[in-house]
Amino acid sequence: MKRYSHAIFCLAVVALGFAARPSSAQPVKTKASAIQVEMIRSDEIKLPAEFQISLYENLVRQLEKQGGFEHVYRDGDRRAADAPDLVVLHSTVRGFKAGSERARHVTTVAGATSVTIHCEFKNADGKLLLEKDVNGKVRFFGDNLRATYDFAKKTARVAHDNFNSSEHKS
Amino acid sequence: MKRSKFLVSLAMALALAGLATCSASAQQTSKHPNAIALTGLTGVKDDAKGTLTVESGSLHFTHAKKTSDLSVASIEDVVTGEDTQASVGKTVSTLSMAAPYGSGRFLALFRSKFDTLTLRYRDENGALHGVIFALPAGGAEPIKKELLAQGAHASVVEEQAVASPVPANSSSKEQKQ
Repeated sequence: MKRYSHAIFCLAVVALGFAARPSSAQPVKTKASAIQVEMIRSDEIKLPAEFQISLYENLVRQLEKQGGFEHVYRDGDRRAADAPDLVVLHSTVRGFKAGSERARHVTTVAGATSVTIHCEFKNADGKLLLEKDVNGKVRFFGDNLRATYDFAKKTARVAHDNFNSSEHKS
Repeated sequence: MKRSKFLVSLAMALALAGLATCSASAQQTSKHPNAIALTGLTGVKDDAKGTLTVESGSLHFTHAKKTSDLSVASIEDVVTGEDTQASVGKTVSTLSMAAPYGSGRFLALFRSKFDTLTLRYRDENGALHGVIFALPAGGAEPIKKELLAQGAHASVVEEQAVASPVPANSSSKEQKQ
């Protein structure tokens, strides 16, 4: 009996040890002090101009707010050439479904607007650092352009979780 | 007699020249009230209401006694579109949702059309910016024409817009949502 309790105690200590260990599963953030946002590309899928601009503007805004970068440069900004540890974000539209604000308001189940965008984070040399499909949706209330805000928030979160200007784990 | 004829014809020519100058300057300046800067205009909050003016190579957006300027020459693309919005205000619309048996949702059926004017421009560093304006139905196309006439560029049907002017109340748009 005493032997069993001793074993249980040992197991509990080991379990506690594992629980107290800093989580090594979290991804190591890549050092990046600045990000340059390229214009959203929609070669295959026809995207309304206002959607494209709204995606881009919201993306820049959200990255400035919560991306964790010292500088956020826009497409074509010459100052980005001098930025150390620059990450370039290329975004390509992979799916777009124009919903209906009226249908959303009347039915609350139909009329969702959604946009799916393939995001590629590359370094200044063009080496791929991270790629991910990010989805933006507006389901119940709000105008169609709100889907672009949803996408921008999610992408900024992805950037925040994977890149850091001071190269440390969080 | 000859001299008086000459004077009359000279006076008429001057009057015509004056009229032409007046009409030319009138074409250079045009005001478009009830514009809404939906997003992207530097120094202006989203959904700010104001007046859009195209004047001597600049696009001005005036709101709450402030003016935001944009050089027409820096505009790389002008696109017009159209959309709809609820005819009733947001607050009324949201409050009406509480009406019994979903009767409040009836209000959502009443919607009004509006135009969108989307611009792309580059700042002094070459950085790309985008601006979206909402205008009363039929209001975007005349502004596009003015911008193109003053040096802006457009990727869609640029030559058509300049060559064959479209009526102000035309419903033909490049984009539909």
